[in-house]
Amino acid sequence: MTIFNELQSATKQKNDALDTPMTRRKALWGLLFISPWIAGFLVFTIFPMIASFIFSLTNFNLTKPNDIQFIGLKNYEHLFQDPSVGISLGATLRFGAIALPLSIMLPVLLAALLNSPLLVGRRLFRTAFYLPYMVPVVSAAYIWSGVLNTETGWLNRFLVQLGISAPNWLYSVDWIYPALNIVGLWGIGNAMLITLSSMQGVPTELYEAAKVDGANAIQSFRKITLPLISPVIFYNLVLSVIGLFRYFEIPFILKEGSGDPGNSTLFYNIHLYKTAFTFQNMGYGSTLAWFLFAIAFSVTLFLFWSAKYWVYYPTGDN
Amino acid sequence: MGPVGSDGSNGFAGNYLDIQPLVDAAGYDLSQFPESAVNAYRLEGQGLLGLPFATFPTSIYFRRSLFDEAGLPYPPSAYGEPYIDFEGNEKEWNMETLRELATMLTVDTDGADATQDDFNPESIAQWGFVSQWNEPRGESTLFGSNILVDADGNAQLPTEFQEAMNWFYNGIWVDRFIPNAAQSGSDLLAAGNAFSSGAVAMAHTHLWYTCCIGEGSDWDIAPVPVYNGVATAKLHGDTFRIMSTTRYPAEAFEVLSYLVGEASPTLLQVYGGMPAREADQESFFAALDERFPQGVNWQVAVDGLAYSDSPNHEYPMPNYLKAKDRIGAFQTLYTGTPDLDINATMEELVADLQLIFDEVK
Repeated sequence: MTIFNELQSATKQKNDALDTPMTRRKALWGLLFISPWIAGFLVFTIFPMIASFIFSLTNFNLTKPNDIQFIGLKNYEHLFQDPSVGISLGATLRFGAIALPLSIMLPVLLAALLNSPLLVGRRLFRTAFYLPYMVPVVSAAYIWSGVLNTETGWLNRFLVQLGISAPNWLYSVDWIYPALNIVGLWGIGNAMLITLSSMQGVPTELYEAAKVDGANAIQSFRKITLPLISPVIFYNLVLSVIGLFRYFEIPFILKEGSGDPGNSTLFYNIHLYKTAFTFQNMGYGSTLAWFLFAIAFSVTLFLFWSAKYWVYYPTGDN
Repeated sequence: MGPVGSDGSNGFAGNYLDIQPLVDAAGYDLSQFPESAVNAYRLEGQGLLGLPFATFPTSIYFRRSLFDEAGLPYPPSAYGEPYIDFEGNEKEWNMETLRELATMLTVDTDGADATQDDFNPESIAQWGFVSQWNEPRGESTLFGSNILVDADGNAQLPTEFQEAMNWFYNGIWVDRFIPNAAQSGSDLLAAGNAFSSGAVAMAHTHLWYTCCIGEGSDWDIAPVPVYNGVATAKLHGDTFRIMSTTRYPAEAFEVLSYLVGEASPTLLQVYGGMPAREADQESFFAALDERFPQGVNWQVAVDGLAYSDSPNHEYPMPNYLKAKDRIGAFQTLYTGTPDLDINATMEELVADLQLIFDEVK
């Protein structure tokens, strides 16, 4: 008997052992318990996705709901001629050029700081940095609209006290992205906490060995900490990129979806929202949504492909 | 559905039921409303789309305490009356008089008003005027009725609109008697509800603003000033409508009749709308007097109906929702941007509107 036949026989015996009335009953119970989730997933995710794809092939507009017609790929053709698509993607990418590096690097730096045995009151700081994450995003946006107000905001009052001229945070093309990033950084507590827990999982003997070999703190951080927490950095990066493409709540509340100043806050998702829910153009809005899905999916796939070059898994599992 | 005004319903034009056959079948008495009010809901080719319910004329709301503090007489109390200034001189109650008055009522944190050399525009504590929750089409009616779309469905830039926007822009960024977007959104001005904050002397707004004017009983209302001798008190009118796809038109009309009839006194108090049915107006204002016991000159609001804007500033436009969004973006721009070429910005607005209109031609 060949090894292949042995393996085949062993697999069959295992399957026969699993295919008993008891295991089938267990499987049924499992399906029964998971069925609410399956039903919810079908009704609230899969069916709407199918519906939105069908809508994207129609001229469905809620201002003329009875005139719905199948128009094939016309919405997709229009997408490549719509100047607002380029403007909104440009705004999203420009904002991302600042926001992404910050959302990746700052949690790492903060986690390193909060992991340092030299820091007094570490637990207090960890709680303090995490706390803002607990504030609902809508509340945070309203709070920050007050803090960043050019006239009466605390931030400008503070800057004026220091003799610094007060920026027009929310009404200047030059300052709106820094303003949005300040608001966004308020919520990095979760990424910081995950990074911190990953850092605490790095075996201390590696640092001790490096110390014996004469490595300084920066070398240890670069050569030991960063590679070992790279899976968490990768995780944060994927979430941040997806978050960038679905960036909506903060600019929508702060600028009421106007896109101002100078279309700098007309992010892709704001354009999508306005098309579907302000202009009631559900057909083209669905097209924009599917295009967004395609972009986000492609970028995520690229990130997963690139992971093999820079993400280190100690178990060797890539 | 409703109550909804012209602005809220324009985006869905063509979806409402012509209720004239139902009116005829039910023998509903339309003579209880002014004929002009009923005709306002008749649209060519679409029929009668609603029954008159609530009207909201505009007035100039003003804070007596701020006028008293500045030693300035109040605005006139009736259309046609002049303004008597602090030296006893008679002046026409026009947009220039309003501008002068608003400038004197704009005060910095050191107490200097905007007419004084030592006035600090970077530290304003009180403003003279605000256009409370109006969009540019409405704001511009202070300079006369005008519309941004011509009879052929093309974008146009009326003189009244240009003059109005220059007046507002200069009021915000040159004379400083109107708060800019950042100031309006600040805590100092109640995050957008500027007149209710008590730090603005005058506001141009509708009767529905009684909903949100807040505490304090030191305010009253005055007529809208004239421009080139003509007063234009822009008007909002809300009513209930029936969707054309209804399967139960007769039953829907019965509900609609109830809402604009028996239920209207209660509903109109809730919505702050002046009854379209003249017979109900006295009790409506009596109820408002209970809420605002300072003695508001409601007759100004009633008289304002005679000066309502025609065509109405909430006129239909092709591709309405998108066109309205573009006009809103124009407002955000001029209220938030100093050193703007407002005339060039208006030209851009009209060019963009033309493109938006063309999308649905």
